[in-house]
This record gives sequence, C-alpha cells and structure tokens, in this order.
Amino acid sequence: MMKKIIILTILSISALFAQVNEAVEVPYISYEIKMGKGFDAVNANCLMCHSFGYIINQGPQSKDFWHKKVVKMIVHFKAPISKEDVEITTNYLFEHYGNGALK
Amino acid sequence: MQRRDFLKASLAASAVALGSSASAGVTGQPVDSRKVSKIAFPEKRPLITYSDRPPLLETPRDSFTKAITSNDEFFVRWHMPEIPTHIDPDTYKININGLVNKELHISLNELKTAFEQVEVTSVLQCGGNSRSAFNPVAGGIQWGSGAMGCAKWKGVRLSDILNRAGLKKDAVWIGFNGLDNAAYYETPTFIREMRIDELDDHVIVAYEMNGEDLPYLNGYPVRLVIPGHYSDSWVKMLSNITVTNEYKSLFFMDVAYRIPDNDCECETPENKFKTTKPITTMNVKSVIGYPTNNTVVYHNSHVVVRGVAFDDGHGIKDVVISTDGGKTWKEAILDKDAGRYAFRAFRFAFKPTAYGKVSIMAKAINRLGAEQPLAQDIKWNHGGYKYNGIDVVTIEVV
Ligand code: HEC
Repeated sequence: MMKKIIILTILSISALFAQVNEAVEVPYISYEIKMGKGFDAVNANCLMCHSFGYIINQGPQSKDFWHKKVVKMIVHFKAPISKEDVEITTNYLFEHYGNGALK
Repeated sequence: MQRRDFLKASLAASAVALGSSASAGVTGQPVDSRKVSKIAFPEKRPLITYSDRPPLLETPRDSFTKAITSNDEFFVRWHMPEIPTHIDPDTYKININGLVNKELHISLNELKTAFEQVEVTSVLQCGGNSRSAFNPVAGGIQWGSGAMGCAKWKGVRLSDILNRAGLKKDAVWIGFNGLDNAAYYETPTFIREMRIDELDDHVIVAYEMNGEDLPYLNGYPVRLVIPGHYSDSWVKMLSNITVTNEYKSLFFMDVAYRIPDNDCECETPENKFKTTKPITTMNVKSVIGYPTNNTVVYHNSHVVVRGVAFDDGHGIKDVVISTDGGKTWKEAILDKDAGRYAFRAFRFAFKPTAYGKVSIMAKAINRLGAEQPLAQDIKWNHGGYKYNGIDVVTIEVV
C-alpha cells in the first residue's frame, strides 16, 4: 500500500555540494515605525525576538488586545519586560496601532 | 485616517484591517490584496513579506495554477529569528539519541547512500494558512491563502533511521529539533514531539525538494516531511532526534497550534473552550490560481479557471465551480493524480456572458465525501487554524 505512494528510486548520488556554498544573507527590512511617546520602550522591549513586521500585521486592535499580547510575550516567551514597560508599550501600541476600543 | 497610516506603515501593502469588536467571531474570505515585496530573500523571488526576522514569506495566489510549487516561490515560515545562514554539507550530522540501542550521527553522505531512497509528492501547509479570514483577529501571522505549497520531496524513511538505531522497549515519544534558535535564552525553543505510533512509513527525512537541495529558508540541508499533516511538525534544519518515554512540556506543543477539542473545533472570543487538541491532519481545501481578484476579461471570451485542491491524503474526488453565487455547481476537470498527498490541479472552461463583476467559487470534495464549507459557515477559533472555506475570486467582465 505504502509502496504505491512512496516511489522507490534507484540510487544515483551526485557529489555532495550545496546549491549555495557560502553564507546566505537574510535582508534587513526597515519597517516604518511610528514615533511617539513610549517608542523607546517598544524599541528596547519588542524588537529583540522578532521584527516590527510581526507586530503591525495584527492590524489596528483594542487596548485590551495589545495588553494581552505584551503579557503573552512575558508568560510564554519569557520576554524580560518590566511592569512599567508593560504599561508604556501597551499605551504606545494602542495609540498608534489601536482601533479606538478599550476592549 | 489611522487606518490609512497603518496601511502605509505595513510592508505587506494592505495588511488586515478588520475591526475587533465583533463579539461572536465571524469568518470571511482571507485577505487577498497584499502585494509581493520589492526585496527578494535568498534563493527566492520576491514574495509577500511579513517579517525579516524571523523570515515570513507568502506565495502569491497566481502560483496556484500549478500542481508543483517551485522552490523559489515556496512559502517560508520560521518561529525563531536566529537561523544558521551557512551549513557545511561535509560535516553536517543528524543525531539520533535517547532510548535507542545505538546512537547515530548520520552525515548527509550516509543519508544519501546508506539507506533506501524514497520520494513523495506532498503539500506543505501552515496550520494558520488563511488566518486573516477570522474576525476578531486570531493570534499569529495574518496569512492570506499562500502559506502552502506542494513539492516532490526525496529522502529516507524516518522508520528506517529509527530501526537502524533500534528503539528501546519503553520508547514512546520522539522529539525533533532543528538548528534555529530563539534570540533570548529563556524563550522556549521550537522542539516538536510526536508519538511513535503517529509516525508511519510515509514520514521522511528529506534532503531534496523538486530535484534540488532544499532552499536554506525551507530548511537546508534536511527537514522532516509528514505528508497529510500541517507543517508545524515538519522540523527544518533537522539536527536532533531524541527518543523518550515521557512527554516534555513545551510551549509550541502545549499552547501553540492547538484547537478547541470539541466537534466543531470552535469557540467564541468571550468563551474560549477549555480543552484543546493539536491541529494534526489537514482538511479538504482548494485555492483558485487564475483568474485572481480584479482580473479583467472580455465578454464572451474563453477563460480557463485554474487552481489546486488537496486534503490529508484521502485524495480529491471532485472540484466544482460556481459562477452564480453558489446556486449551481459544475464539475471542473481534474489533472493527472500525482499521489494522494499532492496538489490536484483543476481547470474549468468559463465563458462570461454577462458584463460587470462576476464571482467564481471553487469547492473541493474528497474521496470520503468531505467538502469545503462556505467561508461564513466556518466557526471561529482563537488561533485561526484550519480555515478551508470555499475560495472566491471576483473578476470584471468588460
Ligand atoms: C523573548 C522574546 C520576545 C520578546 C521580547 C517579544 N516577543 Fe513577541 N513573540 C515572540 C515569539 C517567540 C512569538 C511567536 C513566534 C512565532 O510563533 O512565530 C511572538 C509573536 C508576537 C506577535 C504575533 C502574534 C502572536 O500572538 O503570536 C506579536 C503581535 C508580538 N509578538 C508582539 C510583541 C510585542 C508588542 C513585544 C514588546 C512588548 C514583543 N512581542 C516582545 C517572542 C518575543
């Protein structure tokens, strides 16, 4: 039964070589980040594990949404973010990437 | 105004902008207006780009007219930002350890010469593909429909490797780890665990994709291929296979990639279902590759609608097309079957006889009789997983 799906192939081994045999370079993309109160805290706390692209692709969201995201980073991914910076980053995100709703 | 700014700021030209106050959770068509970026990543042509670190690239819709997705268009999804950008194929080893009789350190050369070589054509799809269809926004990357592709994979059966190592009697779990790393030392790494009885002979350790080395961003030099399953367990840059008798608690196993453990696999934003289960195997789905939204065609011209359909390996029985909003459905022609895990390409001759906007809908039906639901009939889940709504593209007839 499996034989039908997985076709056995006859060994024909080419010499080992990599398609690319030097280090590849992942390009840097500079995301436009809005400046404003709290930006420094976002810069310091949120860009260590992923790009800003990760954050803005969520679309405009409520304050509660952003608060929960920041907390998720701490609880699940162990982000070292202080209590104070949780406030500051949440406020920044809501102000610039918010939808106006608290919840 | 705010929304405008947001869109400008986003590299993905028109990122999701759905409101988030809907209370029950509703589902529509995934976002389809994102453009490919100007920047090409290594071994890739420019793709829809969500993030550079970690790299997240989506295949544009028009690729899905073909049963095989080319390597340079294949989507990219990493969880961790630190990915090795150079691998020496002469020294690379896959280590097999834990509850085995004999630890193995398999070089690429041994993998290619000392084991039986096998091939399988299989779809690789992210569990969160089409996540942008869910509202309120479900956690994670807001993919359109292009976090999927189909390739011909070549490698060695995992079971052959495990047999060579010899499993001890009490072996139950197998953990797979790749070379990607978190940027912060306390962040959980992306290890996957599967029960030995979940792994059958079709699971392979693959070193070739469509006749070429795997691209770096798709896991060079080897990755796990688990036909029929969502891609979360298809570990890339596979470096370590550890056999254990105990399940380790891991974020990416216990929290991510899970859906409500009830019949509808659904919940509401206010009332999340308490118990969850892993996403595992794929449901039946199809995507139209041509025409795309806003394509302009002439009245009375001969349009050939093309797309791909797939499921978890039962195989596609039919794809049906509607051009009258779902009132009537006609069978599309299915192309040659490339194996039950592969994309099944379909085509459908359509002659538009009315002017103006026309919506084309595609619905796949598998050999079990399971068929795709309408987008609005799909119920919400917090992770935005397993969307498989009937695909709709709207064209203009002039
Ligand atoms: C310690 C590492 C770390 C830090 C610091 C961090 N994140 Fe994350 N973040 C992650 C990981 C890991 C993921 C999930 C990765 C994946 O699955 O691709 C993630 C995902 C996300 C997502 C995607 C949605 C989701 O629910 O997965 C958003 C939004 C996000 N982070 C926002 C933030 C914000 C805002 C900050 C700063 C307050 C931040 N992150 C700081 C590790 C981090």
